[in-house]
Amino acid sequence: MNPIRFLFRRKGGKGWHWTDLVTWVWLGTGLLIMFGPALWLVLSSFKSPTQLAEFPPTILPYVSQTAEVGINGEVKELPLYTAVTEDGQVRTLAEVRRIGTVAQMVDPDAPDTVYKVNINDRRPVRQVGFEIENYLKPLQAFNFGLYLRNSVFVTTVATLITLLTNSMAAFALSKYEFRGRNGVMLLIVATLMIPLSVNLVPLYSVVSKLGLLNSLWGVILPTVATPTGVFLLRQYMLTIPDELIEAARMDKASEWQIYWRIVLPLTAPALAVLAIFSVVWRWNDFLWPLIVLSRKELFTLQVGLNTFAGELNVQWHFILAMTVATMIPVVVVFVFLQRFITAGIAGTGLK
Amino acid sequence: MGRIRLENITKNFGGLQVLKGINLEIEEGELVVFVGPSGCGKSTLLRQISGLDKPSSGAILINDRDVTEVSAADRGLAMVFQSYALYPHMTVKLNLAFGLQNAKMPKAEIETRIADAARMLEITPLLSRRPGQLSGGQRQRVAIGRAIVRDPTAFLLDEPLSNLDAELRVSMRAELGALHARLGATMIYVTHDQVEAMTLADRIVVLRGGQIEQVAAPIDLFERPANRFVAGFIGAPSMNFLTPEEAASLNGTPPAGAALIGVRPQHLEPADSGLTLTVTLVEALGTETVIHGEIAGGKRLLLTLPGHRPVQVGGQLTVNADPARLHFFDAQDQRIG
Repeated sequence: MNPIRFLFRRKGGKGWHWTDLVTWVWLGTGLLIMFGPALWLVLSSFKSPTQLAEFPPTILPYVSQTAEVGINGEVKELPLYTAVTEDGQVRTLAEVRRIGTVAQMVDPDAPDTVYKVNINDRRPVRQVGFEIENYLKPLQAFNFGLYLRNSVFVTTVATLITLLTNSMAAFALSKYEFRGRNGVMLLIVATLMIPLSVNLVPLYSVVSKLGLLNSLWGVILPTVATPTGVFLLRQYMLTIPDELIEAARMDKASEWQIYWRIVLPLTAPALAVLAIFSVVWRWNDFLWPLIVLSRKELFTLQVGLNTFAGELNVQWHFILAMTVATMIPVVVVFVFLQRFITAGIAGTGLK
Repeated sequence: MGRIRLENITKNFGGLQVLKGINLEIEEGELVVFVGPSGCGKSTLLRQISGLDKPSSGAILINDRDVTEVSAADRGLAMVFQSYALYPHMTVKLNLAFGLQNAKMPKAEIETRIADAARMLEITPLLSRRPGQLSGGQRQRVAIGRAIVRDPTAFLLDEPLSNLDAELRVSMRAELGALHARLGATMIYVTHDQVEAMTLADRIVVLRGGQIEQVAAPIDLFERPANRFVAGFIGAPSMNFLTPEEAASLNGTPPAGAALIGVRPQHLEPADSGLTLTVTLVEALGTETVIHGEIAGGKRLLLTLPGHRPVQVGGQLTVNADPARLHFFDAQDQRIG
């Protein structure tokens, strides 16, 4: 379909109905609010530090033009400006040096004549360009490869353990009748109301006593039991007919076999949803790994990013670039599995 | 093969007693049908036998071994569920193999058994499909196949035909009958459909309110119902019940103590003298004609006559019955004679 016609589709009739306009403005604003910051982040990650500090900021990343100019027999690379000279003419000049508010400039083609230009009368010549260094340098000079490995390890292992333990809890809570079943479920769901910051300190002392500080397991283990996961899987398992489990029981299946060979395969769609959630949570986790890990070689990506923000100097260009890099896996997960995510959100009312 | 004995089985759900002391003996190779209106406890009773549920009191014996406390897996029974309960993520072959794998049977033996059962049920071409790709009748066969490969002591079938359309139900019913004759296995069959019960059963167990009303061969049940409930439940359309005063004009004299006289619609026929009824509705089914009428006093009466009969709605019809075909019940609704 023609994209223009698609964007301007109306509900019917001859002209624009007011609801068409409201819809268009509403969705347009939504798009801007949702994607504006992401777009800003991606474009800014290609800017040089000076450009990031510039005011007013530009949307697109620019690279200043330079020219090679021979002065006194020496060839120098000098920045180019569009300047208005004293005679009122507009010229493209290279800046040799700057004294106070006055810049000494020369024409690259005729470097012998020196123009004195007020700095307010010149504008840098530049064009859209991408500062790839922002990406290459952290990946080469800093330990980002290592951080990436730690993050992948934490995310994968934590997700696998989450799926296993949560599905076992959900199986028990959905398919066995026992006294206090609803109470246990309520207790688990109630923990949703306790934010991490409340039990940060007790959790820290537990992890510390277990000797898991400065270990990736210290990051993984406290996060694997999620009330959301148990709830999501339980709700799904409730829809598996009991007759299937009874049939398996008649077929001499042990309780473990019922779980492993009947219930787990049938819960696959809900497991996929939880896996996506878990990957996103663990990948983006910052506070907990920051507390547990203090040795640099154990940092995850998110904690590693934090090292660019020093006490005196914040290296925004690296932070922005690496933020984009760490976002990529999550974006990929979303693009390919968004069908499951919407199903999961619809199924639990959580996000 | 299996002989099953139930001794005084009761089952309570909370304060509600669903089974009230069931005693029953099922012989080896017998096909017994549990029949009754919904909520009579027939499925509950089957679940107690299967081991999926434990009775509140009483004992279940299979081949004289007390299995009351034995788990479902170890009773050696196979069950066919109303919803078939096929494992949707497994192929037909895996569905059949699952129980055998769990029993740690050698692979070669599993293959032979599946091949045999598949041939018997004509599902060999379906073995690599999943249940979702099968029609209702095919799923039914697979569910039965899953029971057959286990070579169980007895088969338990919980309304196995109720999810099929009418035509398929008739043919599957015949197949089930043939299968029983071929396997010679003990089968317990639960249904609310009395046609299934009448056609398949060696003996029918009529249940009501958690109690056995009568256990008898199908024809005995039809000819000599033990009480008013069984008389009304078995046979379609159901039996007409008349007070002695209303039945006074019929042939024959009620025995002493008869409080109720029953006569089946099929046994009433037009006569010179007898009950006179005003026809209110005529249902011509082709093979038979069902006539609804009212006798003096407003009681409704039903009769079916073979073939097509030109009867006018609003007209008068006098009917009578063979005295030997009448059923008499006392004030407690129990059969007399």
